[in-house]
Amino acid sequence: MKKIKGFFYNRGVHVPDHKVASGKPIEVLPPPQVVSLSLSMGLGRPAEPLVAVGDKVRKGTLIGKSGGFISSNLHSSICGEVIAIATRPNATGAPETYIDIKNNGLDEVDYMEPLSDPGPDEIKKRVLDAGIVGMGGAGFPTAVKLSPKTPVDVLIINGAECEPYLTCDHRLMLEHSDEVVRGARYFAKAIGCKEIIIGIEANKPDAIEIFEKYDDIKVVELKKQYPMGGEKQLIYCTTKRKVPLGKLPADAGCNVQNVSTCYAACQAIEQGKPLIDRVMTCAGDGVKEPKNILVPLGTKLSEVVEFCGGQSEKEAAKLISGGPMMGFAMIGLDSPTKKTSSGLLLLSIDEIDTSVATPCLNCGRCADVCSMKLMPMNTVFYAKAGNFEMAAKMGGVMNCIECGACAYVCPAKQPFLQNIRLAKAELRKRG
Amino acid sequence: MDKHIISTSPHIRSKLTSRRIMLDVLIALLPCCIAAIVFFGWYSLAIMALSVASCVISEIAYKIIEKKAWEDWSAVMNHIFSRFDFSSVVTGIILSLILPTRVNINGELALLPWYMPLLGGMFAILLCKMLFGGTGRNLVNPACAGRVFLFISYMSIMTACVGNCVISPLVELSVAEGEILSGATPLTALLEGNKTLSPLDLFLGTGVDGAMGETCKLAILIGYLYLCVRRTIKWYYPLMAIGASATLCLFMEGFDFSITLSSVLSGGLLFGSVFMATDYVTNPKSTLGNVIFFVSFGLLNAGLRKATGIEVTSFCLLIMNCITPLIDLVVPRRPFGFVRPAKGAKA
Repeated sequence: MKKIKGFFYNRGVHVPDHKVASGKPIEVLPPPQVVSLSLSMGLGRPAEPLVAVGDKVRKGTLIGKSGGFISSNLHSSICGEVIAIATRPNATGAPETYIDIKNNGLDEVDYMEPLSDPGPDEIKKRVLDAGIVGMGGAGFPTAVKLSPKTPVDVLIINGAECEPYLTCDHRLMLEHSDEVVRGARYFAKAIGCKEIIIGIEANKPDAIEIFEKYDDIKVVELKKQYPMGGEKQLIYCTTKRKVPLGKLPADAGCNVQNVSTCYAACQAIEQGKPLIDRVMTCAGDGVKEPKNILVPLGTKLSEVVEFCGGQSEKEAAKLISGGPMMGFAMIGLDSPTKKTSSGLLLLSIDEIDTSVATPCLNCGRCADVCSMKLMPMNTVFYAKAGNFEMAAKMGGVMNCIECGACAYVCPAKQPFLQNIRLAKAELRKRG
Repeated sequence: MDKHIISTSPHIRSKLTSRRIMLDVLIALLPCCIAAIVFFGWYSLAIMALSVASCVISEIAYKIIEKKAWEDWSAVMNHIFSRFDFSSVVTGIILSLILPTRVNINGELALLPWYMPLLGGMFAILLCKMLFGGTGRNLVNPACAGRVFLFISYMSIMTACVGNCVISPLVELSVAEGEILSGATPLTALLEGNKTLSPLDLFLGTGVDGAMGETCKLAILIGYLYLCVRRTIKWYYPLMAIGASATLCLFMEGFDFSITLSSVLSGGLLFGSVFMATDYVTNPKSTLGNVIFFVSFGLLNAGLRKATGIEVTSFCLLIMNCITPLIDLVVPRRPFGFVRPAKGAKA
C-alpha cells in the first residue's frame, strides 16, 4: 500500500546515522571450523543440552531443548561433531555454558518438514520448535509472543532500525522483502489479526518503496528519530495507540515483530530451517571494510572481523555487540555470535564517548527527550543518594526502557544508565 | 585480553557539553556588552572585567580551600581547571550588566564605585553558589542575588534621590539634554502618566540611562535569537514571561497600549526573562513547571511594578527561584502510557 506518514511523537533524539554499510549486499560467511553455541541465546532460562561430547550432528539438529516457558530451542549451525560442552566466560565476562561443534566439512542438513499453508497452531508450534526469538536485541521467545492473552488486531513489523551503524535489517528488507512479508503473514495468521503494518524510518526510502508494492501491508514512514524502534514508540507512531504503563503491547491490541524475526519464521515454515544463522552488521572505524554478513550462530567474532578484512589501522577502543545506543561493550573478540547479535562494532576512540561527568545543570534536556516521558534527572539524583523509593516516585525509573536517549543528550555527561539500572535492581530486590 | 573500554550503553554521546552551553550564553550576551560599551563608555568594560574577575577568582579560591589544594597543588589545580565550565564567567557578566555605571553619591552623579562589582561577585559566587554545592546546586540565580545584595546593602548609593522620586538602578533614567537625574525615570514617569521617551528610544536604548546591559533591547533581542537558534533556551519561555507581564499590565492600565508597550520595553523585564530566568539551575525541571514559572514571573513582575512603582525584576526572580523546588514537587509527572486511575478505585 502507498506509504503514509507516521504519527508525530515529540520525544527522542537525533543520532548521527553512520550507516556506512547500507549499500553493501548481504554476504555469506563460509561455515567456520568450530562454532560455540551458547545455551542461553535468548531471554529466559538456558536450554538443556541434548547431545554429549562425540555426538555427530548435522546442520539444523536440535542440540538444546527449551528449558521452560520463557526459553528457546537450540540447533546446530554446522555439520560436524560435538567436541566439548563447557562453561566459559562470555562476552561480558559472566560464565555461560557452550556447546562446541567441530566442522567435518560435509555440510549435511537436518531440517524439519516444510509446511505448506499451515494453520495458526502449526505456525506457533513451528516457531517454538525452530527456536525463534526476537532478533531485534531483547531475545524474547517469539512463540510466547504469538499467544497473547488479550485479542490483538494489528501486527506491526519493526523495520525502524533506529540504532546508528546497524544496517542488517535494512539489507534484509531490500533483499528478502518477499520472505519478510510472508513471515509477517504467517505471524498475522497465527495471532489472528487482519492488519499488517510495517514501520520504516524515513532514512530508508528504498525499503519503503519496496514494501509499497504489497497490497496487504500498510507502510508507515517514520521520522528518523531514536528510539523509534522501541516497541511502545513504534506502536504509537504507527497506530496512535498507547501501551498502558506496565502492560504489554498486546494490551493495546498490537504485536510487534522484528524484520529479522519475520524472515527467520518464513524460513522455518517454508524450508523447515531452524534459527541457525542471522544477518549481522560489522562496522565501525576499527574494521577495514564494513559489511552485512549472514553468519552461522556460534561463529567467533574474530572470524567475522577477519571476513571484513580484519582490523584497520585505527585501533578499536571499544567492542560493542549490538548498536552503540543499547548494545553492550565486550571484553574481547573471542566470544561467539548469538541469536540476538545484530551488530558487531569496533569503534575507535574518536567515535566513542570518553567524557567525564560534570555537575548536573538541571537543564531538563533528559526529560525533553525521554521516550517514556520520565524525569531521568531525578532518578540519577536520588539513586546517587541511595534513595531508590524517591527515584521511582520522582523519576519514574521502573517505567524506563533504558534507551539511553537521556545519556546521549546530557551536556553534563551524567551517568544515567548506571544509576537507572542500579535503582531498578535495588527496587526489584526489595520487591 | 585486549585493552578495551568497558562501560554501559550508550557508547556514543552528543558533542554538547556544559561548557559549550555556557559559551553560547556568553556569545548571546556579547551584543549587550557591546551596547553597554557604546552607550556607557569604557568604564562599563571595567565593571564587567572586575565583576568577572571577582566571580572567577571566588570560585577558584573556594575550590582550592575545599579540595585542600596545598596538599597537592598540581593535581588539584588540574582538576579545577579541567572542570572549569565558565558558569562563573556568565554570572560575572550578567551581574555587571544589571548594574548601572552611574550612581548617586551624596546627591552627585558619580561612577559606580569599583568595589561594588567585586563585592557583588563575591557574594553571588561564594554565598549563593558555592556554599550551596557549586554549579547546578544553587537555589537562586547568583547574579540576581548579587545585585539584590548590592541594592540592599548600598541603598543610599544605588537609589538616587532627586526631588521626591526614588529611583532604583534598574529603572532607566532619562538623560536627555545633559541633565543629571533631572527627570523622572521612564518607568516612574509611565506610572505617573508622563511620557518623555518614545518606545523607539526605549527599544534602542538611546538617551536612556539605567543598568548598563538592559537598556538596549535590540541587543537583548539579538542574544535571544542566538540562544533560540542554538536551542540553549526554549524560544517560548521568555515570550511567556513577557506576554504574561504585558497582559496584566494592559488590564491594570485600562487597555492603554502605549503605556503597556513602554512598560514592557523599560526596566529589566526583557533582560531578566531572556538571560536570568532561563538559568537552568534555578528554574523547574519539567516543561509544564517552566510554563508555570515563567508566567508567574511575568505576572509578579507587572503586579509588583504597579504596586511599588520601582523596578522589581530581580526581586521577582528571587521569589520565583525560591518557589521553584515547590513547583517541581507539585507538577505531576505523566509517563508515556499513563492511565489515570478510575475515580474511587483503590490505588
